[in-house]
Amino acid sequence: MHIRKDDLDTMRQLRSTFIAACLLLATAPGWAQGEKKSSSELVVAAAADLSVALQEIAKGYEKKTGVNLKLSFGASGALTQQIQNGAPFDLFFSADMDYPRQLISAGDADRATLYQYAVGKLVLWVPADSPLDVEHQGMNVLLDPSVKKIAIANPQHAPYGRAAVASLKHAGVYDRVADRLVLGENISQAAQFAESGNAQVGFVALAHAVAPSMRGKGKYWEVPADFYPALAQGVVVLSHSQHKKEAADFLTYIKSKETGSLLQKYGFILP
Amino acid sequence: MAIDWQAFWLTLQLAITVSAILLILGLPIAYWISFSRRRWKFLVEAVVALPIVLPPTVLGFYVLVALGPRSPFGRWWIALTGHTLAFTFSGLVIGSILYSLPFAVQPFAASFSGVDRKLIAASATLGASPLRTFVRVIAPLSVPGLITGTALSFAHTMGEFGVVLMVGGNIPGVTRTVSIDIFDRVQASDYAGANETSLLLLAFSFAVLAIVYGVNRKAWVIGPVK
Amino acid sequence: MPDPPTDEGTAIAVSSLPAPEDKSTGPVLDVQFRKTFAAQATQFLLEVEFQAAPGFTILFGASGAGKTTLLDCVAGLTRPESGRIAIGGRILFDAAQRIDLPVENRRLGYVFQDLALFPHLTVKQNVQYGLAHLPQQERDAQAFAILEAFRITHLAQRYSREISGGESQRTALARTLVTDPALLLLDEPLAALDAATKARIIDDLRKWNQAHRIPILYVTHSREEVFALGERVLVLDAGRILAQGTPHEVIRAPQQETVAQLVGFENIFDAVVDAVRPERGTMMCKITGPGSPQNGGALLLETPLVRGGVGSALRVGIRSGDILLATAIPVGLSARNILPGRIAALEQHDVIVTARVKCRVEMEVHLTLAARDSLQLEVGREVWLVIKTHSCHLMQR
Repeated sequence: MHIRKDDLDTMRQLRSTFIAACLLLATAPGWAQGEKKSSSELVVAAAADLSVALQEIAKGYEKKTGVNLKLSFGASGALTQQIQNGAPFDLFFSADMDYPRQLISAGDADRATLYQYAVGKLVLWVPADSPLDVEHQGMNVLLDPSVKKIAIANPQHAPYGRAAVASLKHAGVYDRVADRLVLGENISQAAQFAESGNAQVGFVALAHAVAPSMRGKGKYWEVPADFYPALAQGVVVLSHSQHKKEAADFLTYIKSKETGSLLQKYGFILP
Repeated sequence: MAIDWQAFWLTLQLAITVSAILLILGLPIAYWISFSRRRWKFLVEAVVALPIVLPPTVLGFYVLVALGPRSPFGRWWIALTGHTLAFTFSGLVIGSILYSLPFAVQPFAASFSGVDRKLIAASATLGASPLRTFVRVIAPLSVPGLITGTALSFAHTMGEFGVVLMVGGNIPGVTRTVSIDIFDRVQASDYAGANETSLLLLAFSFAVLAIVYGVNRKAWVIGPVK
Repeated sequence: MPDPPTDEGTAIAVSSLPAPEDKSTGPVLDVQFRKTFAAQATQFLLEVEFQAAPGFTILFGASGAGKTTLLDCVAGLTRPESGRIAIGGRILFDAAQRIDLPVENRRLGYVFQDLALFPHLTVKQNVQYGLAHLPQQERDAQAFAILEAFRITHLAQRYSREISGGESQRTALARTLVTDPALLLLDEPLAALDAATKARIIDDLRKWNQAHRIPILYVTHSREEVFALGERVLVLDAGRILAQGTPHEVIRAPQQETVAQLVGFENIFDAVVDAVRPERGTMMCKITGPGSPQNGGALLLETPLVRGGVGSALRVGIRSGDILLATAIPVGLSARNILPGRIAALEQHDVIVTARVKCRVEMEVHLTLAARDSLQLEVGREVWLVIKTHSCHLMQR
């Protein structure tokens, strides 16, 4: 078979390009390797209500020990799902105790490390310019005709959402407001719905209401503790963590007085 | 059966509404893109194509905040309709129209451009206004492109997730679409339910597209024939 | 009388001769404009000024000369840079006054080179396309009338891809003419047709033209069509009008050489049929032309037989390359025309020698250098011209 010269050149060119591409791809695992956790790194999954508080805690810890903390926030239920499906977290801060227990029974978390680090508080929040006097009226504002939408976290996978539903039922208004509920994926999204004004009122975490970004932007009313099952929030070290020692060290820090006062600053109650 | 038929029916309504509106809205935009000779046409084409490359979260963000009740547009909308854009079916429709716009406009414009210019010139010399030329010559010869664009915007809206997640509020019967339903089930560990619903959506979308592409096979012989 | 054999380059045998030019009624097209356009990878400036009275005005020129662009400008499909286009006082375009009537308002008809029939409509729907403003009955009536006139009624329900080239042409013409345009533009409408079909369509067009006196701009690069239709010719080359007038006048234009090249015959003479010989398939024509004596014996040529009896006025064209030169009277040749003459001039251009020979008319003959040298030709030499019957091409006058 006679091959023309320009075909031959093209084939040679293609071959060298192909080899180069193979070499490049062969080093690809190396790129991911470059991301491999050095021993001074922790990946933390945390409930959305901690989004401000935990950032501050992490910063303090990093300054102290040089350990780099990577934080992922979401609804406790969503995070639990991810962990059960193999997400590579070292620690999990839930907004309740049930999800960590669920992980422990499934073998995804270490029973010995389970620790209740705080009790969360639920508040009813309206924007600062709202005509609703939530501070004095409390849940009664929900019956005001101007309230078209009430934001809560999705009770299916967010503890704060379940707490909101429980509060509404306890106050006897659930049936009247059920069709006006809008569900946020997590407590942060619920807060965002209320803060942007798309929902006239929202059940948010106290931690959000007092956070620097939202403080002064709204008025709120603390939902009485007996309206809903306590939001006992638990933290646990995950079984598949490669950095159990560092995780344990961080947990110790969480239990310290320093962290305690910080959590209190954000409206959490210490157990 | 674990399937949430209400969510399915809602998603169907959303997809039909959006693709119907895009058929009407997309025609003049596609016409302008095909036939305008302005120098800044490329800017308009880029804007139309934006939803293809932008994450739906950008759109969701704008609907929520920039078009929210605090904005001038949001206030006007509330005055007009009595409620916000977010958390409503009409809000989803508007978000989806923006999101699926290029999926309608680009096939429309491509098929208009494919019509032989001589036919358009002939129509004009026979006294037809540009509108009449469009209705009697350009549109009939562009039917494959019109069908493709409508089908794509329909299918694209059926599968929409990001925008709905950001601004829907997950209200059953109003904004809880099939995609949200599947997401929720996964998060609640209802893998069986999620699987059933996913299969249904997959089969349905495939059937729609297969019918459209099958019917579209016969195309007009475009162009003057000697 | 049998029809003469027709092939490329011979006359188009039409059933009637063109009517004498009727300048009486009808609007006149007045055109003057400038337009830069691109043709074959170069840019041309199209700059023209002319008037077209009702009847056929032929736009003649090679490809790339700007003929189609000229039509597009008159139609409004392209905008000239400057100038004015008006018909019967109605202004279609005026750069100075910023008038540019949109195409659909110009009330003209344009048959494109590739016809542009609507592929998704039937023949009848195509023809009715321009009549949308009329009520249904009126539309049908007019459509059928013109379908009849062009003999395509039986194709009414067919689609353009199902009909032949000639039928498509007639459909395109019918579609355009039914709208009663004030001006007609035809872009090489007969290009791909055989001679017989061409002749019939030209007849149809002429008949229609006699009934509707409007200016018709007819673009062609076919010499035969020029002579078959030409009441008036504009010769276009590289964006400029080289010559305008009747075909007769154009041939005698100053730039003889260019026009001759376009026309294809270096020798063109007026002829009158002197005798017909149907049994031989030939006829005798009395030739007059530049340089013919006012008195004395006329030059008679034996030419192929065409329609038209004794006394018909025609024109004869003979290519310089078709004429043989002999220095002694030749015998035993098949050629029917052997004419004595005298060399009046000899010119050399590259490798061609042009000889002008006086033989009652002046003929231009092309020879090779070798021929000139071996025959030792010189001015004043007595020679004989040999012309075959079929080298005489007959055209309408």
